[in-house]
Amino acid sequence: MEHTQLYETTFIVNASLDDSQTDAVIGRVQDVIVKNGGTVNALNKWGRKRLSYSINKKTNGFYVNIEFTAPGTLMAPMERSFQLDEMILRFLILRLDKKALAARAKAQAAAAAPPPAEPAPVPAREPLFKEGPADRKP
Amino acid sequence: MITTRKPRRDKDSQMPRKKRTCRFCDAKEVYIDYKDDKRLSRFVTEQGKIIPKRITGTCAKHQRQLVKAIKRARHLAMLPFVSDAIR
Repeated sequence: MEHTQLYETTFIVNASLDDSQTDAVIGRVQDVIVKNGGTVNALNKWGRKRLSYSINKKTNGFYVNIEFTAPGTLMAPMERSFQLDEMILRFLILRLDKKALAARAKAQAAAAAPPPAEPAPVPAREPLFKEGPADRKP
Repeated sequence: MITTRKPRRDKDSQMPRKKRTCRFCDAKEVYIDYKDDKRLSRFVTEQGKIIPKRITGTCAKHQRQLVKAIKRARHLAMLPFVSDAIR
């Protein structure tokens, strides 16, 4: 078994596709990962977002984020498949370094921990001064 | 010859310092994520330029991570390279 690493990729799909076509594109990406001996850990679809600058004369893009474990030999075919796919506008593949992993573990631990208990209700205090008709000045 | 010393200019009164501490160090952040564009946009001017660390008070280590994250976000069109600021 080859040594595998944890990777993350974020890519932008053409926003003018409908849902089934977008899913087909994402499915193709996942196929490439699995065929080359990787496993998909998480798939996050961020949906349509406005691009800060136009890419291929388009102003919107469908963002997808995939986390996966794979051996290093996956990188070359994966990048090639991204380049060839016309529906993918931009992509970024990153290896999660130890700092990213540490931040991720910290976030998971914080999410798993039970939410802080509500502070005990403060008992109502008796008013210190009782206003009576005699106290009021005319 | 009697030499008179000029009174020392108090730098703090002329140029008040902004934050002394790095906000990432205070929060003990280890990794600055490029996906968090709302947070990254606070470290970028209206024109899209990266704000130097002497203004934001970030420490050198976190500034390097921040710049890397901003550049990745720019590649993914989450932040602009140059934005149309009011001229």
